[in-house]
Amino acid sequence: MDELLNEVVPQEDLERFEKKYHHELELDGEVTTETKFEYAFCLVRSRYTNDIRKGIMFLEELARTHTEGRRDYIYYLAFGNARIKNYDLSLNYCRAFLEIESNEQVRSLEEYIKKQSDKEIAKGMAVAGGAALVLGGILGLGFAMARNKQKRDKK
Amino acid sequence: MADRAIKLLVIGESGVGKSSLIRRFVENKFDENHDVTIGMDFKSKVMNVDGIDYKVALWDTAGAERFRSLTPSFYRKALGAILVYDITNRDSLVKLEAWLAELDSYSDNPNIAIIVVGNKIDQERVVDREEGRKFARKHRALFIETSAKCDQFVSDVFKDVVEKIVSSEYFGNGNGSANGMEIGGNQDLEANDSTCYC
Repeated sequence: MDELLNEVVPQEDLERFEKKYHHELELDGEVTTETKFEYAFCLVRSRYTNDIRKGIMFLEELARTHTEGRRDYIYYLAFGNARIKNYDLSLNYCRAFLEIESNEQVRSLEEYIKKQSDKEIAKGMAVAGGAALVLGGILGLGFAMARNKQKRDKK
Repeated sequence: MADRAIKLLVIGESGVGKSSLIRRFVENKFDENHDVTIGMDFKSKVMNVDGIDYKVALWDTAGAERFRSLTPSFYRKALGAILVYDITNRDSLVKLEAWLAELDSYSDNPNIAIIVVGNKIDQERVVDREEGRKFARKHRALFIETSAKCDQFVSDVFKDVVEKIVSSEYFGNGNGSANGMEIGGNQDLEANDSTCYC
């Protein structure tokens, strides 16, 4: 699953579908579902968070307006959100998908995200734990210094 | 390990059993429902050929029309392609011609190893074995018939194509030199071991 999520869209693909998107927009004032999806599919596989966010926005629009392709959009919404570590949202999309259709591909994405999200939580706790230790150290040092001061004052 | 990675592509019409073949091979499972693949999927498995481990990366592509324009970027750096058709559906074999053309224009490897797979031999056949074989021969591809459902000849698909890749020039000059390297490496290790123990 790592391989799938880490796979980055080739720059020329992104540029090609970006051009197609803007070309249609300029020419007709609107973009076909197909072109929008192609561009979004490239964006969510970009190396840049801003691109991924833009892709997610397009996919959300598509999921609202084009019911036939909804399973594709929901899967790539889960996928894109997983890539920017929006694990909760990503899991929601997986679950929404699986409620409608049993699917092995989505189930393995769901499992992977659950694991990643647990890891992040553990990491967060480790950081918080570390911070507590540092804080404890500072406080301890403060107490020790205060005690020393008291001792000195007594003398 | 990284240099012993082999990227394989699995292509063909929707519903011929691409994902099922991969699933049977990697997880030894089969699902009667047809889960339509979205975009692309990935699975990997370590395969041992002549005592050497290779990490085989299997890129499963959606057969659905809407992904046709989007999947070619996955063709890059593939060392092998598995072209699947359904022996109960002649059209799926005819369409392989178009998939091959696509492979020709997007693959960056002129020596890509190709295997043609006729799947679903557990069902009533429409396409003769000979037709599939002829098609494969015409395109200088390997050929095999399988059943992902009954686990017939599935592992042979991957074994055949990986062996072909491994014996080709890509991994040095075939098996001989690769083995030679391995033996050399082992000897070094043993030498180190003996000095350690002394």
